[in-house]
Amino acid sequence: MGTVSLSARHITKRYGGVIALSDGSLDVSAGEVVALLGANGSGKSTLAKIITGVVAPNSGELLLDGSPVTFSSPRAARKVGITAVYQELSLIPDMTVAENIWLGREPMIAGFSINRRKMHAQTQALLDLFAGTHQTLDPDAPINTLPPDERQIVEILKGISREPRLIILDEATASLDSQQVTRLFDLVTEWKTQNMAIVFVSHRMDEIFRIADRATVLRNGQTVGDESIKETTGEKLVELMIEGASTPERIKLPPIADHAPAYLAVNDLKTDKLQSVSFTLRTGELLGLGGLHGQGQSDLLFALFGAIPFGGKIKLAGETVRFRHPREAMNAHVAFVPGDRANEGLLLERSILENLQLPSWAKFGFPLDMQRAAADAERAAQELRLVMAGLEAPATSLSGGNAQKVVIGKWLLRDPQLLLLNDPTKGVDVGAKEEFYNLLARLRENGTTILFYSSDDEELLGLCDRVLVLHDGAVSAELAGDALTRSNLVSASMGSMMEGSPHGNHEVATPTTP
Amino acid sequence: MATTKLQRLLLRNPYVFALIVLVIAIIINHDLQPNLFERRSLSSNFRLFLPLALVAAGQTLVIIGGGIDLSVGAIITLINAILATQIASDATTTEILTTIGIACLAGIFAGVFNGLCIAYLRLQPIVTTYATSFVYGGLALYILPRPEGSLPRSITTLYRETPYNIPFPAYMMGLLIIAWLLLRTTRYSQTLYASGGKADAAYRTGIPVVMVKFSSYVLSGLMAAIAGLALTMGTGRGSPRIGDAMTLDSIVAVVLGGTRLSGGQGGVVGTVLGVMTLGIIRNIISFAEVPNWYQTLVNALIIIAALAGPGLVRLIRDVAKTRLATW
Repeated sequence: MGTVSLSARHITKRYGGVIALSDGSLDVSAGEVVALLGANGSGKSTLAKIITGVVAPNSGELLLDGSPVTFSSPRAARKVGITAVYQELSLIPDMTVAENIWLGREPMIAGFSINRRKMHAQTQALLDLFAGTHQTLDPDAPINTLPPDERQIVEILKGISREPRLIILDEATASLDSQQVTRLFDLVTEWKTQNMAIVFVSHRMDEIFRIADRATVLRNGQTVGDESIKETTGEKLVELMIEGASTPERIKLPPIADHAPAYLAVNDLKTDKLQSVSFTLRTGELLGLGGLHGQGQSDLLFALFGAIPFGGKIKLAGETVRFRHPREAMNAHVAFVPGDRANEGLLLERSILENLQLPSWAKFGFPLDMQRAAADAERAAQELRLVMAGLEAPATSLSGGNAQKVVIGKWLLRDPQLLLLNDPTKGVDVGAKEEFYNLLARLRENGTTILFYSSDDEELLGLCDRVLVLHDGAVSAELAGDALTRSNLVSASMGSMMEGSPHGNHEVATPTTP
Repeated sequence: MATTKLQRLLLRNPYVFALIVLVIAIIINHDLQPNLFERRSLSSNFRLFLPLALVAAGQTLVIIGGGIDLSVGAIITLINAILATQIASDATTTEILTTIGIACLAGIFAGVFNGLCIAYLRLQPIVTTYATSFVYGGLALYILPRPEGSLPRSITTLYRETPYNIPFPAYMMGLLIIAWLLLRTTRYSQTLYASGGKADAAYRTGIPVVMVKFSSYVLSGLMAAIAGLALTMGTGRGSPRIGDAMTLDSIVAVVLGGTRLSGGQGGVVGTVLGVMTLGIIRNIISFAEVPNWYQTLVNALIIIAALAGPGLVRLIRDVAKTRLATW
């Protein structure tokens, strides 16, 4: 393990028409931990993937110990001692811990047979690094029998078993418990003394302050800051993440009457990803769900729609409900709008009429009363201000924004009281978004209660009455009125509040009382 | 989430189920045909087992690697046509060995073509190998339009030998299993399981996934060629439809042996047990004097059960989990 320095200079990466990284730079040298942070879509994962050779950059250069390098594959990066620990695990479920860690590098006997005894012993030695922090981990355990935290440990050990000179820990702590995180940080400190270079990608501000020496901040695909941890604060980093962006103009919505009754009351909701979420939602309120990707927002919506098993209590219009199937939720006038239009929201080859009426055909008897169905759909299309060639045109003929309107429209025909939106504006152009917001505003005025998850902070700031920020499966902040600002939103999504200590304390949650 | 020893044993040796079915089938067969374990019937059974065991072993490798090979039956027919037309009944040993070598090369070439299309051009395995099966089958018909040709006595008698009262094909099956167990100790087998189990994870780990998948088709082609050789030794003549049933039978044997059709799991030991089970079931059907088409029905039911099996197990587990979480 010699000294190493890696420097990424002005990297750009486009996926089709989308620019994931416009000017990404990162420097890290031996014995140093650099935290890489940024909001959703700021390009941190892309930058990490470029450094490890998973994707190739469109332009910019990588310098290893001062000389330019290009990596055609993860294998090429690994050859020079760069490896990554991913959050989306790179383990083979059917193979054992030992087989996974040494895959492709197994110790051999006479160059032909795998030396299983040696492989077992080497694996045990690695597992001992985390001794006492796990339950069932042993070299012969198949991966698919392990809980998520232990899989993550295996993933970390697999990375470290390569004795890399530079390791990227990409959200490697996300599924670890606090004891395991502490052990990992002890190990990281040790690796630093062995001159390893470490890039640490995390959404937990407190961890960044515990372990990093420097922090590199990305915003909209651009590196906007490189701060020494000793000389910075959580506020400063959050500011860097959001700098220059003003709070968007709010769509004027009439305030909710204080005495409006609670329409939805969620108490101690738990799923695989959620740990005790409680909140209430008043009739006609538009509540936003914020936070970084994958903090349990989708799980929350799925649980409310009866699509996944959950624990806890849900009250709808004063009555305790327990949906076990989406159909039960639909019958209680709950509607769910998925984010992935093409796969979850639309029958692409079928007509707009069919798409609009899909959940409602039962209303039209046998044989189907097509005239009434068409008239119904026509009315809905007008209400939605749908721009289309006609009801008989296939869904593929619609633009992104209009397609999303159809996805919502099919539920409007069922007169929903509670509308669940799962990041619905992803990949929708600006003009269409505007129309979509107006639609939501109209629905809200008509008394529809809306729970709106968005990965776009602008929408949460510009549209919602209140925003719950989720972090690691719990509500880290509830923001409304003057507190609903961009910096509060971002710091809450990193698990720390501006008012809280800069060194982060992600217990600063302000849970609502039901 | 602790796993028991038994669970691990089943996970690593998914052929336990096939073993149980085989024992039951043998008991029933023995009941219908009391002379099952005598030398003659043992020999005739193993003569039938061997070609399918060979081709199904190759099929197992492809399926573990995440693919499927529907062209193996046609490759067998092609090899049969080559051997039947190119070996004269008075051929010398050298001539015979040369022709066998050429036949094996033909099998390898067929596998290379399949592998190039699937691994490098990323074509669908099912469609590709279905299409190439017509190429290889057509080639066989061109070489041998009608049943004809006869192999030298020396070859066909070798296939019927029973040294130490054990049939010659049984030795070959033993050899096949030893070869598999040896392969299982190599790094190559690890990369094959990894590529079939989760290709993108394997790629990120630095496994040459494309190369590994390619190689599985080449091996399958070679094994089909050897199976064609065994089949031709058994029948002693060429026939342009001889391999037709082998494709489906090989897949059924693999599935029966506990190898998952979606890849990444299973093994040749199970497949060999599956081959024997299939053969015994065939015996039972013929001795029970029921119409032959029941064999096709049994094949179909085995595949359906194997495809539905994991889904059903998951469904039951999920329902149980939901209940636990909800009540």
